[in-house]
Amino acid sequence: MNLKYVGLMAWYYGLKAIPRGPSYIIAALMTPLSLLFIVFIITKGELVKFAIVGGFVITVASVALSSAGDAAFMRLQLRMQDLYVPTRVSPSDYMLALTLSYLMFSIPGIALYSILGVIFHIFNIIAIFVLIAVLVLLVIATSSISFIISGMIKHVRNVWGIAAILSVAMTVLPPTFYPYNYIPRYALYVLSISPVTPAAVIAQSIFHLSPMLLLEVPVLILETVVLFVLARFLTRWREN
Amino acid sequence: MIITEKLTKKYSGNFIALNSIDIKTSKRITSIIGRNGAGKTTFIRILSTQLAPTSGSASINGFDILKNTREIRRSVVSIPQEASLIGIMTAYEQVKLYLVARGFSFKEAGDQANKALDELDLREFKNSPADTLSGGMKRKVFVAMALASNADVVFLDEPTTGLDPISRLEVWSAIGRIGSEVILTTHYMEEAQQLSEDLILMDHGNVIEHGKPTELLRKFDGMLRAETHEERNDCIKVGGTFIRYIKRDDAEKYISRGFTIKQITLDDLFISMGVFLES
Repeated sequence: MNLKYVGLMAWYYGLKAIPRGPSYIIAALMTPLSLLFIVFIITKGELVKFAIVGGFVITVASVALSSAGDAAFMRLQLRMQDLYVPTRVSPSDYMLALTLSYLMFSIPGIALYSILGVIFHIFNIIAIFVLIAVLVLLVIATSSISFIISGMIKHVRNVWGIAAILSVAMTVLPPTFYPYNYIPRYALYVLSISPVTPAAVIAQSIFHLSPMLLLEVPVLILETVVLFVLARFLTRWREN
Repeated sequence: MIITEKLTKKYSGNFIALNSIDIKTSKRITSIIGRNGAGKTTFIRILSTQLAPTSGSASINGFDILKNTREIRRSVVSIPQEASLIGIMTAYEQVKLYLVARGFSFKEAGDQANKALDELDLREFKNSPADTLSGGMKRKVFVAMALASNADVVFLDEPTTGLDPISRLEVWSAIGRIGSEVILTTHYMEEAQQLSEDLILMDHGNVIEHGKPTELLRKFDGMLRAETHEERNDCIKVGGTFIRYIKRDDAEKYISRGFTIKQITLDDLFISMGVFLES
């Protein structure tokens, strides 16, 4: 693994890029904050804790899923992937580097939700560590989906629409902003196709907002591993 | 040294992009010349491990491109034809990042990036975001990556396509400073003549000619190019111009027929690819 490359890419293309393109931060915050506002108004504040916990999940997932457009742009327009194939960077390094860069754009959102979490007294130490682990798995899984899409796309303009559809379908439909037991169990299992669903269910459970559904833990881990391995082979490092 | 044996690339529909290429090259700068679709980019992408061949073999400095992929990737640099810089990152950051990707330490990468950018007269622009640089400067940043890399072999795919004449000269000068073996593709004869010691002419996936520019032009010894804009069946048609290769002694005869006579240049190798030359 070329961790120096992963770290430097995250520094240059993630953290240092934030002040150079602040609109990305606002874009990353728009959906979760809008949904938080709607949930607050409709439920008269009753479900606001769900919306805050869901906010962590949706901020990370939507940034990673929308990165499909960027990953396809880097591959097809900038030819960045071709540049890095003959180096000491492996497909996994390249994916991790971009994933970590995208994760940097989630930081302001995560900070904002952390402040809300403190205000609404939902945090405890163990839950914070579990949440961090869940978010790490989630960002790997959702970024892998982005890499799979970006590797299959032949024309960059097609990717923006797909990324927008996926971002909504995989983050708004799952129980990110409502209790997971509001929907029938079979619907929950269908929605578990998206790694956002198990992540949201686990997050609600660890903050004692909903009962724990242990099945979703191996589901999230398995989905993360399968998606990462698939992305690793579908990033077309050496084309046929 | 690059050696290929029967290197072939076929795409679906049986389209042959490379047809059993056998070459051996070890000169400092080799140019691969050919029209669009000749197979130049496919050739370079296979050698730099970005694309798998359908059959045949190739090796770089003794390393097989399929069996020793890791070693090849560590020893070559490949700058793709349409590669662009990341607009929000600076020139310095992109060169340093590339060098770190090649295994340099942070300090070494930073030092080498500064040195290469200074050497290519990009000192005052190195901390500007790439999207503020001109097309020529952006290409020079890629050349800086190659220059600083210490790679054994550098592949440059059409490094000057789309650049204005001044930028092209700057990039030529930058390429001349790369100490490694350089393989570049181009469709500019002048570029190939100016830069390279070895020429490979490709057409429709085949190598038509391979040798030193002077050797390749030897078959035109004692000949001139006669051109006319009048339509003729016994000439090679290039756009609206009709070209014929003639003996130097016949020049007067062709002038009287309305032809314009020109000296032979490397352009003529390109024009005459696969065409029987008048004896």
